[in-house]
Amino acid sequence: MDASTALGFALPIGLGLAAIGSGIGFSRAIGSAMEAIGRQPEASGKIQTAMIIGAGLIEALTIYAFVTVFLLMGKIQ
Amino acid sequence: MNLFDQFGSQGPLRLLTEAAGDAAHGAAEGGHAVHELPNWITLLNLFIGDTPLGRFLHEWEGIIWALGIATLIIVLAQRAAKNPQMIPGRFQNAVEMVVEGLSNFILGILGPEGKQFVPFLGSLFIYIYAMNVAGAFPLGKSPTASPNTTVALALCVFAYVHYVGFTKNGPVGYLKHLMGNPQSPVEWAFVPIMLPIHVLGEIARPVSLSLRLFGNVSGEDVLLFAFCSLGVTALSFADSPIGIPFQIPFIFLALLTSFIQALVFTLLSTIYILLWLPHEHHDEHEHGHAAADHSH
Repeated sequence: MDASTALGFALPIGLGLAAIGSGIGFSRAIGSAMEAIGRQPEASGKIQTAMIIGAGLIEALTIYAFVTVFLLMGKIQ
Repeated sequence: MNLFDQFGSQGPLRLLTEAAGDAAHGAAEGGHAVHELPNWITLLNLFIGDTPLGRFLHEWEGIIWALGIATLIIVLAQRAAKNPQMIPGRFQNAVEMVVEGLSNFILGILGPEGKQFVPFLGSLFIYIYAMNVAGAFPLGKSPTASPNTTVALALCVFAYVHYVGFTKNGPVGYLKHLMGNPQSPVEWAFVPIMLPIHVLGEIARPVSLSLRLFGNVSGEDVLLFAFCSLGVTALSFADSPIGIPFQIPFIFLALLTSFIQALVFTLLSTIYILLWLPHEHHDEHEHGHAAADHSH
C-alpha cells in the first residue's frame, strides 16, 4: 500500500473516530445540562452559557481532526 | 483531485468547476485547497480573466470581503449613533437592543468592573458573526473560512488579553500569574515546571481559537459547495440550466453555526480576560483551558 492509498483510507476513518469521541462528549455535556435545566429552570441562562463554552471546547477536537484531514488531503495524488 | 473535472464541459457545472479550480489555485494563499461556492469576485473574474486586476481581486478576495464587512458595520454603527433620539426609531431601537444584549451578556461573566472590555468584545462578536454569515448568502464569501483572517483575529485577542493582564497586574503580578501565583514554599518549588506549562497554555489559546473558527466556517462552506454540486450533477444528464437546490437546509445549519461560533469565540475571549483579571480566588482559575467552567 502506498502513502496515497493509506491516506485515502485513514483520513475518513480518522475523522469518523474523532466525530465519535466528540459525539460521546456532547451527549454527556448536553445531557447533563438538560437535566440541570430540568431541575432548576431558573438557572437555565447560566447553564446554557457554560454548556455552549463546553460544547465549543469539545467540538474543537473534531475540528482539529478536520483541519488535519484538509492539510493531508493535498498529499493524496 | 478535482472531483468535478469529468463534468467540466457541461453548462451549469462549468461555473462551479471554475470556482473550485480557482479555489485550488488560491491554495498558495491559505495553504489549503478549499472548495467554496463562487462569490461575486469569482464571477467578476470570469469576465475580467487573467489580467493583473483579476489576479489581484482573486488573491485578496478574503481581505476585500473582510474590509467590506467592516466598512458596512462602521457605517451602520455611525448612522445609528449620529442622531440619537430620546424615543428611538426602529433602526436605533434595533441597534440598541443588540448592544444592550451583548453588554448584559459580557457583564454577566466579567462582573460590573468589566465594562471597559465591552466595546472590544462586543465588536468582536458583531464582526465575526457578520463575516461568518456572509458565506451563507448567495454570492457571498466568509472571510473567516480562511485561516489568515481567524489567525489575525486570534492574535488581536492574544495581544489584548496580555495587555490587560500586564496593565491590571503590573509587571511583577504578570510574572507571578504566569508562574501560577505561588504562595507556599512547595508551590515556589514547582515554579520551574509550572512556568513552561502556563506559557504553553497561553500560546495554545490563540491557536485553538483560530483553528476552531476556521475549521467550523470552512467546513460549513465546503458542505454548501458539496450539496450545491450534488444538486447540479443530479440534473446534468438532462442538460438542465439549473440544479436542485439541495443546499437550502444546510444554509439554515450554516446560519446556526455562524452564530454559535461567533458566540464561542467571544465567550472564550471574555474568559481569557477574566482569567487575567486580579481577584481573590485566583488559584481556582489557574489551570488553563479547563478553567472555563470554573468561571460561573
